[in-house]
Amino acid sequence: MTLLSVRDLNIRFTTGDGDVHAVNNVSFDLSAGQKVALVGESGSGKSQIALSIMGLLAKNAIVSGQVMFNGNNLLAASNDELNQIRAQKIAMIFQDPMSALNPYMKVGRQLSEIVELHEGLSRRDARIRAIEVMEAVQIPDAKRRLDAYPHEFSGGMRQRIVIAMALICRPQIILADEPTTALDVTVQAQIMHLLDDIQRDMDTAVLLITHDLGVVAGFCEDVMVLYGGRMMEKSKVGALFKSPSHPYTRGLLRAVPNIHDQTGQLHAIPGSPPNQMNAPTACPFAPRCNDVIDTCWQTLPELTGEDTQRACIQPVEALS
Amino acid sequence: MLNYSLRRLAFAIPTIFALVIFAFYLMRLAPGGPFTSEKPLPPAVMANVLERYGMDEPLYVQLFTYIKNILCCFDFGPSFSQKDRSVNQIIASGFPVTLTYGFWSAVFVLICGIPLGVIAALRHNSFWDYLMTGLAIFSQIFPNFVLAPIMVLLFTLSWGLLPGGGWNGGQWQYIVMPAIGLGTSYMAGVARLTRGSMLEVLNSPFIRTARAKGLPERTIIWRHALKPALLPTLTYMGPVFVYMITGSVFIDVFFSTGGIGQDFIDGAYSRDYSVLLGLAIIYCVLTLSINLVLDLLYAWIDPKVRDAL
Amino acid sequence: MTSAKTHLNSKEFAEQAAEEMITSRSFWADARVRFFKNRMAVVSVFMLLCLVLFAIFGHNFAKWSYEEIDWSILGKIKTEGAPSIANGHYFGLDELGRDMFARVVQGSRTSLLVGFVAGITSVIIGSIIGAMAGYYGGRFDQIVMGMYTIWLAVPYIIFFVVWQAFFGRSLAQLIMVIILVNWTAGLLIVRGQVMMMKNREFVDAARMLGLNDFAIIFRHIAPNVLWVVVIYSSMVVPEVIMMESLVSFLGVGIQEPNTSWGALISEGASTMTFGTLWQLAYPAAFFVIAQVSLYYIGDGLRDALDPKDRR
Ligand SMILES: Nc1ncnc2c1ncn2[C@@H]1O[C@H](COP(=O)(O)OP(=O)(O)OP(=O)(O)O)[C@@H](O)[C@H]1O
Ligand code: SF4
Ligand SMILES: [Mg+2]
Repeated sequence: MTLLSVRDLNIRFTTGDGDVHAVNNVSFDLSAGQKVALVGESGSGKSQIALSIMGLLAKNAIVSGQVMFNGNNLLAASNDELNQIRAQKIAMIFQDPMSALNPYMKVGRQLSEIVELHEGLSRRDARIRAIEVMEAVQIPDAKRRLDAYPHEFSGGMRQRIVIAMALICRPQIILADEPTTALDVTVQAQIMHLLDDIQRDMDTAVLLITHDLGVVAGFCEDVMVLYGGRMMEKSKVGALFKSPSHPYTRGLLRAVPNIHDQTGQLHAIPGSPPNQMNAPTACPFAPRCNDVIDTCWQTLPELTGEDTQRACIQPVEALS
Repeated sequence: MLNYSLRRLAFAIPTIFALVIFAFYLMRLAPGGPFTSEKPLPPAVMANVLERYGMDEPLYVQLFTYIKNILCCFDFGPSFSQKDRSVNQIIASGFPVTLTYGFWSAVFVLICGIPLGVIAALRHNSFWDYLMTGLAIFSQIFPNFVLAPIMVLLFTLSWGLLPGGGWNGGQWQYIVMPAIGLGTSYMAGVARLTRGSMLEVLNSPFIRTARAKGLPERTIIWRHALKPALLPTLTYMGPVFVYMITGSVFIDVFFSTGGIGQDFIDGAYSRDYSVLLGLAIIYCVLTLSINLVLDLLYAWIDPKVRDAL
Repeated sequence: MTSAKTHLNSKEFAEQAAEEMITSRSFWADARVRFFKNRMAVVSVFMLLCLVLFAIFGHNFAKWSYEEIDWSILGKIKTEGAPSIANGHYFGLDELGRDMFARVVQGSRTSLLVGFVAGITSVIIGSIIGAMAGYYGGRFDQIVMGMYTIWLAVPYIIFFVVWQAFFGRSLAQLIMVIILVNWTAGLLIVRGQVMMMKNREFVDAARMLGLNDFAIIFRHIAPNVLWVVVIYSSMVVPEVIMMESLVSFLGVGIQEPNTSWGALISEGASTMTFGTLWQLAYPAAFFVIAQVSLYYIGDGLRDALDPKDRR
């Protein structure tokens, strides 16, 4: 059952130097319990997609398209309507646990205020819920730490609290924006395990935003590859890792450190991310693509295909 | 926390002592004195006068006596120029006046400045925002000594609404203009600072988190944004109070309120060292204690600072 | 202390500013372009220039000197003392029968002179002390910061009142007290910048080349903090003019018959009950014009030089 359906999402930002086309014609679906990864380099527009679903884009954003949830277009919803969905139905885990928590408020209060508001619990009951959810994200000694301030926690613990915040209302969808990038590797693994367990328990749909393909392989079923605000490839995780069909995805996979790689080399994709000041008319990846041919400079490839969808004018067989 | 308070006190007390000692020596060593007039007094009379004020003793003895009297009996000695009054009496009559309208002025600064700044930030580029920008520039251009005459010109001379000076036991009509005249530019400063920090806080990630929780805007502002937005304002209040004291000297003189500012300036003209010294000490103690209170308040409000202490 | 200053003194600003490596000449060229694109700032520079020219050459147009008393009108100030081209008193007369035009010229001279000389000297002194405190750190830094804290806690009027009680008042003394009061201007910000800067590679390189501390501070660090000092000066100058005016208003500033905007405003304010409003209006207008111009110049400089809002 499709829970969330994003259609033709476009996000532009007006700036002093002109418009930034951060997200272009992005469409995807999310079903109950599904785990989808959204990968792409820094600046490719991953966070903005999640924020647009939450209705939290910056003031200078111009957004078009549709985000359908329960028959409502969230992009057209009022702030009050969105407030009924935020946290209760769709929750977001933010990128940076260091700054996502209010430094002047006890973490217990930051958790309990959510259920006080949405479920009308008393302060006392809300506190109990806060303790429960803190225990669920494996924060030791939760009861005592309820009255601590964020700065008294380590980075990993803070990220757990941010996750707890997203979970406390048992939402149908969690948008997890790089939940582990700010943490060191061992903590990363713990947090991903935790997310995995909770996801299975509650049958939540998760949109996992990351640029770490290793995390994707362990956690997700489907994966979407974003480049310059455009969807480049959409496929099952297994298929993607086995036979990536898009030149950009291939580049990304080559850039992942691989213990089986005999040469031990890291293959960063040469060149830099595209300039998003103008709406592209050619394949945005063309300047960096190994397989570029003349027509690539003239046409904007559409996302096509059945199981594996890709945006490249050349057939898979023609790629090097 | 207690530790920190004690440490801050341990800094403030020697500071005050140093100031007293420095000012004392400066005053006694300066050329001329309260009793140097055009017609020099006969030496015998002079010696008499000096003895009466205890000025015939060595300086360090005088200093010691002076400090001892302040500490044990809160006695700042006799006035040199106003023969029948002691410094204590001068302080007792003037200080409450200055403190009264100073208090109302501070209330005005905070009660108007903070909401104005918050509203300007929330309604970015609205009427309130422009009003505030206008006010900020206005206050920079019209400091109290330009504003006060203009106010008197309007409210007293033209419209006859408010008395142009005096105190009259502190009736409210007599407090309005001194309080507003003293506070306006700092009110604008507080508003501008509050607006800036509020805008910054509203753009911070933790406010976005609060929005993602589905909290109503009102809750976000009151519960999440206000406290961090006001912390810079609190820091700013320290220097503001110090500047307001200088401003109060002007207000006392201009509005003839009978506050201590007038005595301070008169003391300068008549070289009344004991009054000058006494009032300077009062001013310093006042500012240092206000700063101390603000620092403690800050530490108490900001959990990070509180823990670092 | 204005809120703009609070920003300049903040740690974030120090960090941002230190990122800018202003060794290239293009920085100043860019800043100049940016500054001259700011219409208010350009108009303000023009206004200020006019004021300066007025202060310097105004006496050539005055029919009277600023001390002279026009006995023919004295006693009839209220009726005949108003501004008039005919009798040569363009701005009218003060209550002692002196020509207001000449007095305003003289007042502008004093106020601008005190503002610029005392303001800029204060910032330079503060910056040097701040640079040394930031560079050497340790004990010296602690002492300087202690003094700084105390200084900020003492209302400046005390200095003026006490000084005037003992040493009287002359222009030079007035400037001296103002510097004494304001020596902390620019201290904190330069200290912060130098602390950020002193561990940079180019400073290490200079040290390796065997340059002494003095040469390092002046040849290598100073150019990088110069722009901060410029921004700061633009805010301190109007503040000093304001300070001078206030203390002169209170009678502990400039000495009669010399005068300044503050002293003139004071006289004007004390006589406004008699309806001789020109005595208040002219000096107040000049003061306000100067403050407006300096405000926008400072604003323009900040926009042109401060990396914060720049992309
Ligand atoms: N308010 C804004 N104004 C202008 N441009 C913006 C704004 N917000 C985001 N952008 C631009 O939108 C693009 C996409 O940003 P986004 O935060 O989605 O990247 P991301 O894929 O999440 O990268 P990262 O991995 O670094 O988090 C970036 O180029 C960014 O500069
Ligand atoms: S369309 Fe052309 S340039 Fe773009 S990815 Fe495919 S081959 Fe490369
Ligand atoms: Mg992101």
